[in-house]
Amino acid sequence: MHLTSRIYDAGDIAAVQELYHSNGWTDGLPIVPPTRDAVEACLDWAMTPPDQLLGIEPVRALAVTAEKLAINAVMAGCLPMHFPAVLTAFTAMLQPEFLLHGATASTGGCAIFVVLNGPIRREIGASGSFNALGNSDRATAVIGRALRLALINILEVRPGGIDRSTLGHPGKFTFCVAEDEEDSAWLSLAEQRGMPKEVSAVTVMAAGSPRQIMNEWTTEPKEILETFAAEMRANLRHYSLHAGNYALVIPKQLREHLISAGWSKTDIAAFIHERARIPRREWADVGKGAVVRDRGDSIYPALESPEHLLVVAAGGPAGGFGAIIPPWLGHKSQAVTMAIGACVDCGPVSG
Amino acid sequence: MGFQVLDPTNEMAPPLGQLAPRPGSLRGKTVGFISNGKEGTKGYFAHLDRMLREDFGVASVVNRTKSNYSAPADGWIVGEIANWDAIVTGIGD
Repeated sequence: MHLTSRIYDAGDIAAVQELYHSNGWTDGLPIVPPTRDAVEACLDWAMTPPDQLLGIEPVRALAVTAEKLAINAVMAGCLPMHFPAVLTAFTAMLQPEFLLHGATASTGGCAIFVVLNGPIRREIGASGSFNALGNSDRATAVIGRALRLALINILEVRPGGIDRSTLGHPGKFTFCVAEDEEDSAWLSLAEQRGMPKEVSAVTVMAAGSPRQIMNEWTTEPKEILETFAAEMRANLRHYSLHAGNYALVIPKQLREHLISAGWSKTDIAAFIHERARIPRREWADVGKGAVVRDRGDSIYPALESPEHLLVVAAGGPAGGFGAIIPPWLGHKSQAVTMAIGACVDCGPVSG
Repeated sequence: MGFQVLDPTNEMAPPLGQLAPRPGSLRGKTVGFISNGKEGTKGYFAHLDRMLREDFGVASVVNRTKSNYSAPADGWIVGEIANWDAIVTGIGD
């Protein structure tokens, strides 16, 4: 295998860390040394030649190759078996609908939210149960981190450089979740977005930080979902009126009430589409009256259509804690779902 | 134990753009503005418009606004640039 990246000599593990930190090549945490053997093993596992072009970020005309992505994946702690998910996620991020430059340069400070679906979750030990949005397992931790390191190093998305985020959020270290398909009667997110059940797939979304909700005092689906919708309305008021992709993370305790009452993800999306909307005049209630103007009665839905809601079954077995994950900037960046590996008739799905 | 480790950066410089010839003066010239459309640009470009006409003798100012403030300028706007002598654009709010 012919790798073309420049090689550096470092005397010991401490010297490797200093080399990478001092060049601005990390996220501030220690990295795994990207040796030739480790990088080649990732590329071998994904059956991908090092010079394979994943795409070109059009604003800055920067090409992204499999070799460079594999180097960053190793640095993040990926084993070869994790690399196909990283490769697919980054390819999805390079789809024009994702608007990668805007999503990673914006003052809005979003992160790349990644959802894993299909058999690969079990193969790599990705869990969608306890602590699903936190440090739940090795696989989701390193896959999400690999994307951030690749942005930093391949596309120069460094804080104060291309990354102009005012605040950012903790998901910019890693922000990956596996859907708990085994413990859910619903279609998976990937199936809901048109992927066959047997396919492993990755969905990426330019996302703000999760906003947690709690409702343990009802079994009634509409009441449960009203809590999620209220948090989306709060986001419309406090953050942005623009409609876009929102993700709902629904834990087992709340899922069981919804499923036993016969509610599908499609039913949930239809309800949320109707309930998560506000009149523009509400901006005056939260200090933004200056831009209400004569459009106070205009209604702003969080979702342009129900299909823009990404419903994800994840979370530990007990607790009525769910989350909404809001979009970076309305629908200017669209969520993209792609199949991992070869899949006939599985083109990228966006929207 | 020593390590041989690989460079994680792009290492492939993007193609460099070339600066257009600078006009010697703005007097009688046409200047185009490409705004990202954010709220703060309105006052900024209105002031710049006045300054260019009154202080620098610019003949006309063409205002264009991108349809998406986080994406490159729309093709139809880029197509107009050849008709202008100078252009002002930028990033930020």
